[in-house]
Amino acid sequence: MRSLAFLFLALTAGCAGMTKPPVDAPPSAARTAKAPAEKKPAPKAPATPAPAAPATPASAAPAAAAPAAKAGAAPHLDLKGLEQRLKDTSAIGIFTKLALKNQVDDLLAKFRTYHDGRKPPTLADLRPNYELLIMKVQSLIQKDDPALADDVARSREVIWGVLADKSKFTSI
Amino acid sequence: MHARIPALLAVAALLALPSFAADDAAIRKDLTAVIALHGLSCGEVTQAERKGDNDYVATCKDGSKYRVYTKDGRVVVERQ
Repeated sequence: MRSLAFLFLALTAGCAGMTKPPVDAPPSAARTAKAPAEKKPAPKAPATPAPAAPATPASAAPAAAAPAAKAGAAPHLDLKGLEQRLKDTSAIGIFTKLALKNQVDDLLAKFRTYHDGRKPPTLADLRPNYELLIMKVQSLIQKDDPALADDVARSREVIWGVLADKSKFTSI
Repeated sequence: MHARIPALLAVAALLALPSFAADDAAIRKDLTAVIALHGLSCGEVTQAERKGDNDYVATCKDGSKYRVYTKDGRVVVERQ
């Protein structure tokens, strides 16, 4: 009987120790259920840079700025580049690639009509068609080729600028 | 020696199975995407039957069937 009471005490003492980690983990309750081992580094990661930043502000700032600068300075895709990247990606199959090419060609034909001076279509008509096609491309590749999806998103306005400008369009 | 051949063939067949399954999954995914690109309802292609070069009949989760093939450099999707 005493040994049982001792065991109960030991168990409760153990549980009291166990309650500490979940206290600082309520925001990621779902994660704790999935992978308790993975949870530990997650809170540590944001915690460590915070003290490090005031300690070494000069070294921390360039380190943080470098990836941001890289992301901002990443080159935009032109139409040829986009075409090549879409050809090369393994995120979509051959039928999808050909169907996308068909739709790009159809849209380019509409732009040719516009630049030839025949209306419709107007530029306002073409913009939704262009946006829809970009959205289709992004939705098709974003899961298996997120880098390309990101590049497409960043190049959207640049490509539109080429399509909408007659002199740039004719030089494609 | 001869007794080993069927066993080796069985092992080879077992090793080949996943690649066939992967190819099938890839073509089903491709057909699903191309049907969606054409604005047709399907959900997901559950079965793809090859009819010829770049010519498939896709059976969708919702029961609809489409023939997907290429003609003159264009992908054609026809409801069956």
